[in-house]
Amino acid sequence: MMNAILITMILALLLPIYEAWQDDNIWQKMLAFASIATKTSILILVVAVLRDDWTIGVVGVLILSVGNAALMLLAHVLRRLNEL
Amino acid sequence: MTEDWYVVAIVALLPLTAGMLVTQVNPYHALVIRGILGAVAALVYALFGAADVALTEALVGTMLSITLYAIAVRSSLMMRVGVLAPETISTSGEAEIVAVSEIDRSHPTAPVLSALRQSLGKYHMRLELVTYASPLALQAALTTKDVHTIWLTSKETLKSEPAESPASDSAPVYQLQTRVRRLYEILQGQLPPTAELVYVNPTDSSGLKKPPEMGMSDDSTETSS
Repeated sequence: MMNAILITMILALLLPIYEAWQDDNIWQKMLAFASIATKTSILILVVAVLRDDWTIGVVGVLILSVGNAALMLLAHVLRRLNEL
Repeated sequence: MTEDWYVVAIVALLPLTAGMLVTQVNPYHALVIRGILGAVAALVYALFGAADVALTEALVGTMLSITLYAIAVRSSLMMRVGVLAPETISTSGEAEIVAVSEIDRSHPTAPVLSALRQSLGKYHMRLELVTYASPLALQAALTTKDVHTIWLTSKETLKSEPAESPASDSAPVYQLQTRVRRLYEILQGQLPPTAELVYVNPTDSSGLKKPPEMGMSDDSTETSS
């Protein structure tokens, strides 16, 4: 059961990686980045539950909450780039 | 042994995204892919039980370095062009940045601007217009390395630099004087016939006292491509 969940999540992680590779629009790449950042941290949480390791779980929660801050900072820099 | 297969599958994502990163040519796209690589790397580190390394990769490698590099790339891949202010603005003596979208499309400068932007866009550079009140301030901005290029019309060229007066009988209406050799090579032959491009050597153009060669903006522009 857990193995099926992991297979599904890894396959779902491949989709935004392909999108980031083939699309030349910068905002599509940012969307793919957001998707990958969220999916990897959810994957960390699943692995933490699977191994019953709370240290990894705490790190997964931190990455899940902080990774989107990086996305917002980068999006603001890029948005001002297009305005000027 | 039974849990080895998904470790291998996840670790295989790391060289995949690294290969994507090193094949990017646009610096901004490369920054976004670097964020993806950082997320996958944090996943791999957490998978191997290195929770502290994963947290450091997510905080420093993804958030801090990407933001700092985005600001650095944004401020170095740029050509600053000094232009004369329109008569209405010229009462305020200070240099002021004009949003490019404010420029009228039907204005005769529009084809020159779009040609400039197009040829700079091949090198992922941006164009920034800085307005100055008088031709003298424009020349001073060029010699003090405040801007890379100044934009003059023909009669202003005559007024400010009498030495170059023989060129006044030719067709071009606008003259772009640049002090960066690499910008001159990039823009050569790319401009419409209403504009001509001139390379001026900043070391012998005037008797102004200049600071010793810091060359910050020069070097970044010359080595960027």
